[in-house]
Amino acid sequence: MSSGRDVVVSGAALTPYNRRKDNSSFRDWAFSAFNNALLKSTLEHQDIDALFVASESDFFTLQLNPATVIANDTGLSGVSAARIEGGGASGQLAVHAATRAIQSGQVSHAAVIGVDPSASQLDAESVKNLYGFSFDAWTDGMTGVSATVLYALSFQSFMQRMKFDASAQLAQVTIQNRANAVKNPCAHLGIEHTAHDILNSPMIAAPYRRLHCSPLSDGAAALILSRSDCMPTQRNNAARIVGTGAATDALHLGARDDSGHFKAKQSAMQRACKEARITPDQIGVAEVYDAYAGAQLQAIDALGLSKDLDCDLNAGDFSPDGRCPVNLSGGLMGQGAPAGAIGVGQTASIALLLEGSYFEDLQLPNIPRYGLADTHGGVCTTSAVTIVARSATA
Amino acid sequence: MIRKKLTLDYQLNTGWLQPYVEGLINGQAVAWCCASCQYTSFPPVRTCKCGRTDGEFKVLNGEASTVYRTYGQDGNFALAKFEGADTASVVKLALPDEVQDWSLFESNELLSGCLKPLQKTSPELVLHIHPIEN
Repeated sequence: MSSGRDVVVSGAALTPYNRRKDNSSFRDWAFSAFNNALLKSTLEHQDIDALFVASESDFFTLQLNPATVIANDTGLSGVSAARIEGGGASGQLAVHAATRAIQSGQVSHAAVIGVDPSASQLDAESVKNLYGFSFDAWTDGMTGVSATVLYALSFQSFMQRMKFDASAQLAQVTIQNRANAVKNPCAHLGIEHTAHDILNSPMIAAPYRRLHCSPLSDGAAALILSRSDCMPTQRNNAARIVGTGAATDALHLGARDDSGHFKAKQSAMQRACKEARITPDQIGVAEVYDAYAGAQLQAIDALGLSKDLDCDLNAGDFSPDGRCPVNLSGGLMGQGAPAGAIGVGQTASIALLLEGSYFEDLQLPNIPRYGLADTHGGVCTTSAVTIVARSATA
Repeated sequence: MIRKKLTLDYQLNTGWLQPYVEGLINGQAVAWCCASCQYTSFPPVRTCKCGRTDGEFKVLNGEASTVYRTYGQDGNFALAKFEGADTASVVKLALPDEVQDWSLFESNELLSGCLKPLQKTSPELVLHIHPIEN
């Protein structure tokens, strides 16, 4: 049931996520994603009242004020424009900011553009070092901790609580997400991996090997969100945002009651479900934040998508033909991870799935009523989830 | 393609964390102890879980044991519990000089160690593992 403050996803588009080698820039990708989302919405530039840009780091773009740059490039100069940052959750938080602006009544149509050149503009070592400062720069950052190290320590705690065979479950997630990505023409890593490939990839931070990790990607995603009473008539089958929730957790892993539990994600989900007036078991498809294979398992657990994770994984509940397919796009591990674009792209993918216009080989034949987009920053230090509902006419 | 090389040389003010930073450089674990509930955090957490912000810095004995450990291309790190702290800390692990076999880190054996004075001004949290008896 919707809350009566629904926001319609009038337009949604993603560029390919990959490592660009064609001399195109993040401004080109933002331009392309926005134009395709606007085209789908059937709206015109002058209909857009506000722009929300998600970009995680000036270090990636070498641009300290990207929102106005992108407003100019996209022909939106004159609108209200703001840049939203929340680490890896930047994109989803931008979706929330736009949703709130529309629900306030001040904005009829908002554009959300997520973009980051996380792959092609700096060498991988520099990006890894920068990400090391996205936790507590004064403590973990100065110690030289990488994101993979922190996620690995958190997952070890999770494994101890869950008491299941981690290597088998990590392999299953890795193989499934990359196999889904094979069917996604915009994916960075559509590769048929085997358990043997995974075990033979280098150990980065035990238990995480190279193939358990998401890649650094370039790319952009865009949404046009509209007040339901201003929705373009041609877009009657467009999906609606019916619930948003965000939360934070202790910055230091060791200061959490359970360093393996994504408490912020659980709180964010509870808030989103409360607004949407649904329970997690009503979610029929989900894009979750799988920066690492184990993070997907931690996310499914914290989001309440499973009451018995080991059992549900073995039953295939989260496979493409399961009860609640997870990361049909391939997720961060398969589709790719351009930081600012991730959350926007997840919501775009869920909205397209729910209106029946996703990639042909990934479109669910029986469209579920509700879908979930789940994004976080840090080791789930900040979390943002969005619940999207199918239109009555889809 | 436009090439642009930046060299940044930060001089970060430590602010409230000054005792913690100074402690690490001198090989000491300086924690924060809440005045109300005595909850002791290391690294220091400015606002306690109970909501209070008043308290005092307290020097721990610097001894810690690992809780979870990880190894690989990104280095050897652990979540470790310092004696006297209620929180755990993410630490870089330094092996004793006589230990050459890094496969030690593939076992789940708990290790204990201590802090030592740093040779640099960047406040790394490094746990020096005590000599391991065979």
